[in-house]
Amino acid sequence: MSNNAIGLFLEATVRTATPLAYAALGELVVERSGVLNIGLEGIIIAGAFGALVGAGAGGATAGFVAAVCAGMIIASIFAFFVVTLKSDQIISGTAISMFGLGVTGVLYKILYGTTGAALHTPTVGPLVIPFLGDLPWVGGALFAQPVVTYALYPLVVAVWCFLNRSAAGLALRAVGERPEAARAAGISPSRVQWISILFGGAMGGLCGGTLVIAQAGTFAEGISAGRGVIAIAIVVLGRWTAVGVAGAALLFGAASALQYLAQAKGWPLPYQFSLALPYVLTLVALAGLRGRVAAPAALARSDAESI
Amino acid sequence: MTGLHLSLDAITKRFGATLALDNASITVRGGTLHALLGENGAGKTTLMRLAFGMTQPDSGVIALNGTPCHWRSSAGAIAAGIGMVHQHFLLVPAMTVAENIALGDRGVFTGFSPRDAADRVRRIGAETGLILDPDSRVGDLPVSAQQRLEIVKALARNAKFLILDEPTAVLTPREAQELYEWLRGFVIRGGTVVLITHKLREALSIADDVTVLRRGRCVLSAPAAELNETTIVQAMLGGRIDPSPVPEKGTVGPVVLRIMDVAVDDDQGVRRLTEATLDISAGEIVGVAGVEGSGQRELLRVLAGRVQPTTGQVRIPERVGFVPEDRHRDALIPEMTLVENVALQDASLRTGRMQWASIASQTAALVHAHDVRTADITVPVASLSGGNQQKFVLARELAGAPPALIAENPTRGLDVRATAQVLLQLRQARAQGVAIVVYSSDLDEILALADRIVVCFNGRVISTQADGDAIARAMIGVS
Repeated sequence: MSNNAIGLFLEATVRTATPLAYAALGELVVERSGVLNIGLEGIIIAGAFGALVGAGAGGATAGFVAAVCAGMIIASIFAFFVVTLKSDQIISGTAISMFGLGVTGVLYKILYGTTGAALHTPTVGPLVIPFLGDLPWVGGALFAQPVVTYALYPLVVAVWCFLNRSAAGLALRAVGERPEAARAAGISPSRVQWISILFGGAMGGLCGGTLVIAQAGTFAEGISAGRGVIAIAIVVLGRWTAVGVAGAALLFGAASALQYLAQAKGWPLPYQFSLALPYVLTLVALAGLRGRVAAPAALARSDAESI
Repeated sequence: MTGLHLSLDAITKRFGATLALDNASITVRGGTLHALLGENGAGKTTLMRLAFGMTQPDSGVIALNGTPCHWRSSAGAIAAGIGMVHQHFLLVPAMTVAENIALGDRGVFTGFSPRDAADRVRRIGAETGLILDPDSRVGDLPVSAQQRLEIVKALARNAKFLILDEPTAVLTPREAQELYEWLRGFVIRGGTVVLITHKLREALSIADDVTVLRRGRCVLSAPAAELNETTIVQAMLGGRIDPSPVPEKGTVGPVVLRIMDVAVDDDQGVRRLTEATLDISAGEIVGVAGVEGSGQRELLRVLAGRVQPTTGQVRIPERVGFVPEDRHRDALIPEMTLVENVALQDASLRTGRMQWASIASQTAALVHAHDVRTADITVPVASLSGGNQQKFVLARELAGAPPALIAENPTRGLDVRATAQVLLQLRQARAQGVAIVVYSSDLDEILALADRIVVCFNGRVISTQADGDAIARAMIGVS
């Protein structure tokens, strides 16, 4: 019984952490290039809506492709404003957030009627790996998850390698720390930031796609539920490293999954407490001043190109 | 002909309404050291940025070994063998030496190996004598090492043509000497060097050729052997030197500033200043010399009342004028107008409604009295030239005749004329009985200005003779 409760808790932890990890890994790359995309919420919900449309038309795979495309479209609007036009990142990001939430709500009503009736999309179920999936405690958490979760493991490694072991990653970090120096080395900060924002858009879109196709099986207005802000907090808590971000995503997943454990164990924990916990963690992470120490020095600077 | 031969011919470049370069030309012979002289704003840096591909000319031809070049970014110039060491270093402080060297390696799928990059740093160190620790964080390095890194960065890209923008501005005299010796060696080995500077004496002693720019035009170009200081100064200033009478030194009055046995710890608890004792009297200028990070920064801030000492006694008047080194960051808000910047002084003491009319008339009086050249007192301070900004800061700090003034590198980055005007302001204040403390990284300037000199070394304040050699030795801890 105890094994079962812990197993369920760990399984739920990884499940909730998956979409967060996608969005946060994308945001990590974006922030390391000196751009703070607080429009992530809008990108995630666009991805979720894209997944609904795509999966309805062509199945789960088409849903993920559409989610990525939708995320990148919203991201390209953001990139156009903050990179090409050098607008303020905070203001543009806020606008993109509201735009994403608003436009998906409107499109949802236009395409699927005003009733908001529950629409069911094709979903992907857990892919249980033989033997490993039956391991006690961690079997369900690590080896009986949808394929998008498995894709995360190499992605974390790939992002780490890219940032720390490739010339392009070094260039990207330099743009985030000191764009003038990058420019003098023959790197175009604008191009680097455009590409990283598009990557962040693709990952944010995947986050939304995962929510719809691998978890909820449906779309609802505001389904992103603050995950964009949480993902930004995860980047802070993860100290702007790929491995840290993966760990922080798991921590947030655990905070959300705590309610399952509390129920199973019969702890007298008001359910509001576990609902609020991820947001409290977000507040702590974002307010934690020590986080600033590791932040890219040129984060959210909008004059990157002018020297 | 050896080395890379660079010519910029009839170059014109505009930035908005400003004509930065007006039909300017320069020819740098391969295998020579070429000094590019001129006042601030003459267009020296702009011209060399064009040569480095960072900006593109509106008209004119850049040619390397006779072949016209059309670089769209510095990547093209780097590939052609040109390297540039900028006045404000373009390094990433959060990264290591090795990472800064590897920055700019091309290719999406090119790997970055910290170990290979470190080997490169060591190899270049062994080949050229420019030795650096590949694993140190650049932000922790002293300025001279950062400059060395800038040169190594260029050499790592096989630069045979080095452009250095005011390289000695941040160096001690001894470090500057070492740099010059290294540059001469580089030229002898077949390299080519362009040295942007406003120190004409140094330029004359080290350069093969000299080019002088004035207001975006090339006004003089000749072998250094055919020139002397007077001809160059005339070319730089265009015979517009207005000699100002040096005010008489007044009588030295009572002690105004006194610190006894003062120690200052920084945020990390590291002791930056220790056992500092100093008296400064009304009507004298005390010069402070010292290698960067020797405690002078803390000494000046204690004297100005900007930093509370950890231990020791401080007796200073209620109001002390303070001119910090970084005027853009610490003295002015460039986006605000002159009037608003004057109002910022004592802003913490003010309450209630702002008396804008009286502050505006005070600003107008200051601008007039200190000859600050500005279109109006309601324009942003950023629209003033660097020299006029500094005169403005000094004017504000000297307003209302404070008993004491502390100035940190007050002529840093200023051209010959603006420097002379700032020094005149300080001497005038001394004649009016202000107790003045001046730190400058330019030893000659302190020697010319100060009545008395103290040297900071390793957090201690040492009195010394007003003699260049003695001071230079005290600065590096040799007696």
